[in-house]
Amino acid sequence: MAFFFEVLIGGLMAGVMYSLVALGFVLIFKASGVFNFAQGAMVLFAGLFFVGFSEMGVPTWLSLLLTVAVMVVLAGAIERLVLRHLVNQEGIILFMATIGVSFFLDGFGQTIWGSNVKQLDVGIPTDPIFLMDGDILIQSFDLWAALVAGTLLASLVVFQKTRTGRALRAVADDHQAAQSVGIPLNVIWIIVWAIAGLVALVAGVMWGSKLGVQPAIVGLALKALPVLILGGFTSIPGAIIGGLIIGAGEKLAEVYIGPFVGGGIENWFAYVLALGFLLIRPQGLFGEKLIERV
Amino acid sequence: MSETSGQPDGRDPLGRDTIPKFFAYNAQHRRDRPAMREKDLGIWQTWTWGEVDGRVRDLAGGLAALGLRRGDKVAIIGDNRPELYWTMAAAQALGGIPVPVYQDSVAEEIQYVIEHAEARFAVVENQEQVDKLLSIRDRLPMLETIAYGDPRGLRHYDQPFLRNLADVFKAGTAHNQANPGFVDAEIAKGNGSDLAIICYTSGTTGRPKGVMLSHDNVVRSANLAVSFDKLNETDQVLAYLPMAWVGDNFLSYVEGAVTGFCMNCPESADTVLTDLREVGPTYFFAPPRIWENLLTTVMIRMEDASGIKRRMFHYFIALARRAGRNILEGKPVAFTDRMLYALGEILVYGPLKNVLGLSRLRLAYTAGEAIGPDIFDFFRALGINLKQLYGQTECTVYLCMHTDTDVIPDTVGPPAPGVELKIDEKTGEVLFRSPGVFVGYYKNDTATAETKTPDGWVHTGDAGVFTDNGHLRIIDRAKDVGRLTDGALFAPKYVENKLKFFPHIKEAVAFGDGRDHVAAFINIDLAAVGSWAERNGIAYTSYADLAGRPEVYALLRGCIEQVNRDLSSDSSMTASQIKRFLVLHKELDADDGELTRTRKVRRSTIAERYGTLIEALYSGQPSIAVEAKITFEDGRTGTFKANLKIDEATTYSTMRKAG
Amino acid sequence: MSSVTEKKIGDVLLKVENISLSFGGVKALTDISFEIREHEVLAIIGPNGAGKSSMLNCINGFYHPQQGTITYRGEKRKQMRPHQAAKQGIARTFQNIALFKGMSTLDNIMTGRLLKMKAGLFSSAFYKGPAEREQIEHREFCERIIDFLEIQAIRKVPVGRLPYGLQKRVELARALAAEPTLLLLDEPMAGMNLEEKQDMCRFILDVNDEFGTTICLIEHDMGVVMDISDRVVVLDYGRKIGDGVPAEVKNNQAVIDAYLGVQH
Repeated sequence: MAFFFEVLIGGLMAGVMYSLVALGFVLIFKASGVFNFAQGAMVLFAGLFFVGFSEMGVPTWLSLLLTVAVMVVLAGAIERLVLRHLVNQEGIILFMATIGVSFFLDGFGQTIWGSNVKQLDVGIPTDPIFLMDGDILIQSFDLWAALVAGTLLASLVVFQKTRTGRALRAVADDHQAAQSVGIPLNVIWIIVWAIAGLVALVAGVMWGSKLGVQPAIVGLALKALPVLILGGFTSIPGAIIGGLIIGAGEKLAEVYIGPFVGGGIENWFAYVLALGFLLIRPQGLFGEKLIERV
Repeated sequence: MSETSGQPDGRDPLGRDTIPKFFAYNAQHRRDRPAMREKDLGIWQTWTWGEVDGRVRDLAGGLAALGLRRGDKVAIIGDNRPELYWTMAAAQALGGIPVPVYQDSVAEEIQYVIEHAEARFAVVENQEQVDKLLSIRDRLPMLETIAYGDPRGLRHYDQPFLRNLADVFKAGTAHNQANPGFVDAEIAKGNGSDLAIICYTSGTTGRPKGVMLSHDNVVRSANLAVSFDKLNETDQVLAYLPMAWVGDNFLSYVEGAVTGFCMNCPESADTVLTDLREVGPTYFFAPPRIWENLLTTVMIRMEDASGIKRRMFHYFIALARRAGRNILEGKPVAFTDRMLYALGEILVYGPLKNVLGLSRLRLAYTAGEAIGPDIFDFFRALGINLKQLYGQTECTVYLCMHTDTDVIPDTVGPPAPGVELKIDEKTGEVLFRSPGVFVGYYKNDTATAETKTPDGWVHTGDAGVFTDNGHLRIIDRAKDVGRLTDGALFAPKYVENKLKFFPHIKEAVAFGDGRDHVAAFINIDLAAVGSWAERNGIAYTSYADLAGRPEVYALLRGCIEQVNRDLSSDSSMTASQIKRFLVLHKELDADDGELTRTRKVRRSTIAERYGTLIEALYSGQPSIAVEAKITFEDGRTGTFKANLKIDEATTYSTMRKAG
Repeated sequence: MSSVTEKKIGDVLLKVENISLSFGGVKALTDISFEIREHEVLAIIGPNGAGKSSMLNCINGFYHPQQGTITYRGEKRKQMRPHQAAKQGIARTFQNIALFKGMSTLDNIMTGRLLKMKAGLFSSAFYKGPAEREQIEHREFCERIIDFLEIQAIRKVPVGRLPYGLQKRVELARALAAEPTLLLLDEPMAGMNLEEKQDMCRFILDVNDEFGTTICLIEHDMGVVMDISDRVVVLDYGRKIGDGVPAEVKNNQAVIDAYLGVQH
């Protein structure tokens, strides 16, 4: 039983990491109806800049600030150079554009900082913690990750209640109406992409600390896709809970079902789960029914 | 409260014999307790008895300044608004007589009441009512002043006789400062035999009649009712039924004054259910229609709920129906049921009552029309002390009330304290004597003489029977009770009510007096039948189309046959089984005069307007052509032509007892 | 109605001069000029496809005309974005209803008031006091509008669930929340039944009367418009064919022809 819990908790913690990426997707999708394929690349991009600054000997806090600035500038650039020219285009075109952005970020980041795996240490403790008289082992890093994700979520919730948050929700709901009540669409998009960039930065730092900053992160970030299918594309709580389910599900499946099918199911279990879910509840656990935007 | 109990004749132990004296008493002894609330701009505003007293005095001064004298009538028209209740109190304080008018009346109806009552003043809620009054103003020379509460949209109205109520208040403050002690002196001049109010009853035939009730009538009746139900100053009511109806006046305003409890005015007519939830009244009156709506809301919600929730709901409701009433009435209940019921209270009944706004309810009444036993039982099973009340305007609201522990769904309870009842042997009509017996019909001595016998008995016009345990059961209007050609008793409403308990049937009209069998018109309930049709994949284009569908006929035939089976089990009613029926192509409507404002069937109008249809019911023909003028929603008019099908229903014999 | 309106129609609030608009060669508006005066109710009417909505979209900045100028409160402008128009006191409703469908009625109206809200990100997150007070003031204002338009019963209902007529009313409420100087209504009565139309007319007149708001509305049903407008501008095929008080316009031969579909 203790072992089960250990696997479960380990899985949940890994799920938190998926949730962090999924959160970025949801924010942008809600506000602009754009499915941002580049979210994974943004995670890597942010991670690369952060680790790059650190390696140049910049103190951690300053690196963090600098990277934040980079992500905000990036958001502005994406709005100015890509989105503004594609206003009122079909969703699929915007999606294609984000694929382009994704490849650009992937390549551009590596051009500047190189493609080696970079170790990242921001001082998060990694000692194991034992619970229940040592029966259950938890990585303290995982606890930190959960804590960070929780803080992020809380600030997002507070943010929703602000004037800007209200404007964001308005834009997410109806562009035309939002403009007519005096909300500047461009500014909102920059804000949304900047926030998504910050979320990517947090994810990048966490993933990087765990696995090292490396291009493989982009692929891992795709795990956010099944998370979104589970949680719904428009729901912030959905992204969190979906991440937890996927994380715990794949770890448990690996341990308890894996041996019967020869192992290695951790890599594809999430997608199968999502596929199954699509058949039962296509709008996700918390998602609104997807309404076609015209 | 000690000051309201005792006294078997309902006279006040402290000698307060008029409503204004109760207001004055409350202002002194309950100065800081809430008296009235109104939801305004989304927030509940409260006035204490002290504040209400101040407002009423100002208004009384203002009305006096405008020339109101003792005995003058003040028409009051609008939704339940504190300032309109204050107007009532202010008029009474000066010895004036409030005449509340139904706020949805058309101008001509209002004209009749104001003209007949010779009202010199009208105090109304808003522009809507002002516009109506202005349209008939030429024909009302005695109407001197129209005051309105809500100035919205009235800014450019410059008629000299129009007044903003706010200005009347101001004038009153000045008037009272100039004449200190004026209002107190006027209140002291009043006594119990003065008229407290004139309520115009819609009546099923002819012009409305003005029922004059004295302060004695309302005060004594209220004192008796208050001690019967142990009402006190901590109670809360929702004043949402028309102010022109004696029931609202008595249950909210008079009983509020007598006990000092708080009356809550809803934000608007559309928000009543929300307001009900927010107020959480402890004492609540609602006609069967509202209880029915509440139940429907619950059922619809449950249809949408998840499977587990639904199953839990049905399980616990079944339990409640088995055990709830007995628990409520303090009768023995099996231990396990009692425990399960307690669990149900936590899981289902409590949350449900909370959502409906009934969780604080300790006393609820229904009256007016018969309530479906199923609906009635549902609420009692939930632990809500819902009871029946029977009465009319002429007796000051009530004659019979259920006691808390002895409730039978199809009776109206035993005679209430202070009420004497008897049933006329020949006609079956119920007669009464009570402290609430009205003074008379205003300016209509003939009608008064017809209703009140010289020895003080009053004809109710209702036919009833006493059950073995002393409860009264009303079967119909006495004049509507007829006989079939074979001499069997026929009470149309009794039959119609049984039909109307089916959710698919909105209205029914039964015929049979002087005929050899019973036949009926049915009005479908568009919402219920519409959703039934949707579920069964039946397409329809309009009300008339839906009403004529053969599937709908089959559905209704099923209902009717169930009623027939039910009737066949009662030897005195078995002859009233329905043989033939048709489904009307239009809804019977109060605007067309087919129903009264309180949704009672106007038989004479229907007999006149649908004569050919009635003949067709008895002619044996399979259908009848109808042609009707209809007004579309956008204002265009057209003619509707159709063939109404006439269908037959199976009747049942009572164990070969037929004659 | 027996009101004896002595409305003081003021100076020119907005002046449209020689506006032309085309979409990829298709002319939507050709050389349109007219004025909107303070406190008046101006109706733009015309058959379907006459360019009425395009005109409105030019005024509030959704479209940018290729030629001509719009002068608003004495300030000439060639181009404006919708949110800038909103900042300058131009609020509007849409022909096809553009509401925040996921929000409640109250939230929609509150969002309409966004421009009036001062409290920024940090104060609303941390300094509860002033931000809260401000919220309460805005809420009260919104409640007045709710009361005004008699939509108390649907305060908490998500607007997506409301029937069409009520959605239109919520949209008007949201526009009013910004306390606009100029209110643009794009077919406020389209698709309504007679009773709803009468209600809407009453609300429009009340808004104009009570708040002195200048109203420019589009409608293709002539009958309704004639009753509530001070002045009427008639468009047909993107050109102005009439401009004047309702009685004049009604007897204008070009207008009658346009409505009867006479070929040019």
